[in-house]
Amino acid sequence: MNAMVITYLLYIVLSLGLTIWVAQTLFRKGRIFLVDVFGGNVELADSVNHLLVVGFYLINLGYVCLALKLTRPVLSASDSIESLSYKVGLVLLVLGGMHFFNLWLFARIRRGARLRHAPPPVQPDAHAPAPGGA
Amino acid sequence: MNQLTVLYDASCHLCCRARRWLENQEQYVPLRFVGAATDHAKREFPYLDPEDTLQELTVVGDDGSIYRGAKAWVMCLWALVDHRGKALTIVSPALLPSARRFIDWVSRNRR
Repeated sequence: MNAMVITYLLYIVLSLGLTIWVAQTLFRKGRIFLVDVFGGNVELADSVNHLLVVGFYLINLGYVCLALKLTRPVLSASDSIESLSYKVGLVLLVLGGMHFFNLWLFARIRRGARLRHAPPPVQPDAHAPAPGGA
Repeated sequence: MNQLTVLYDASCHLCCRARRWLENQEQYVPLRFVGAATDHAKREFPYLDPEDTLQELTVVGDDGSIYRGAKAWVMCLWALVDHRGKALTIVSPALLPSARRFIDWVSRNRR
């Protein structure tokens, strides 16, 4: 097995590990947001959470696959570390971007739900007399 | 609150445009429009002074709450899906006096 193949294998293992770790964090910690957003409807929250995580996996793993190919030869251990560092760094940036996008999405969904249930922001100037009253 | 009735001056061009704009917005709380000081309005809201409702926008909730002027505008925005956030911002103590002055100025100068 030459250095290039080892680099590829290390890249795949590291990228997969990082993607799974971030997705699991999102899945575990995002659930509480969604349960709140959907007014305690745990089933709906879990369903949306699952769908979001599937999307997260698809985009990240898609990127990991597309970015696999090494563009320069790996002849030594230091070449391997340099290439690996560059590739994994890009994967981390994509994961970070996706993670913040998901947080933004959660916050947006939550804000929408809060607005939907917001009471009137001003006190009435008067009240209509009760029917049949004076 | 499940419905808001908006009493507006149907003879005022600006008010009619505002009505059309409000009607075309997605609503959390359905808005119903009634021309101010019309027979319909007098029959349905006998406790409101028709002259007052011609002078400034009046909104009546289905729970009997009555809002006038700037507050009525805030309630109209609050009823809309895309503008509820703005209604909540406008009512902050820093912005409400300016909003009130602006609405009063528009009310005085409309036609």
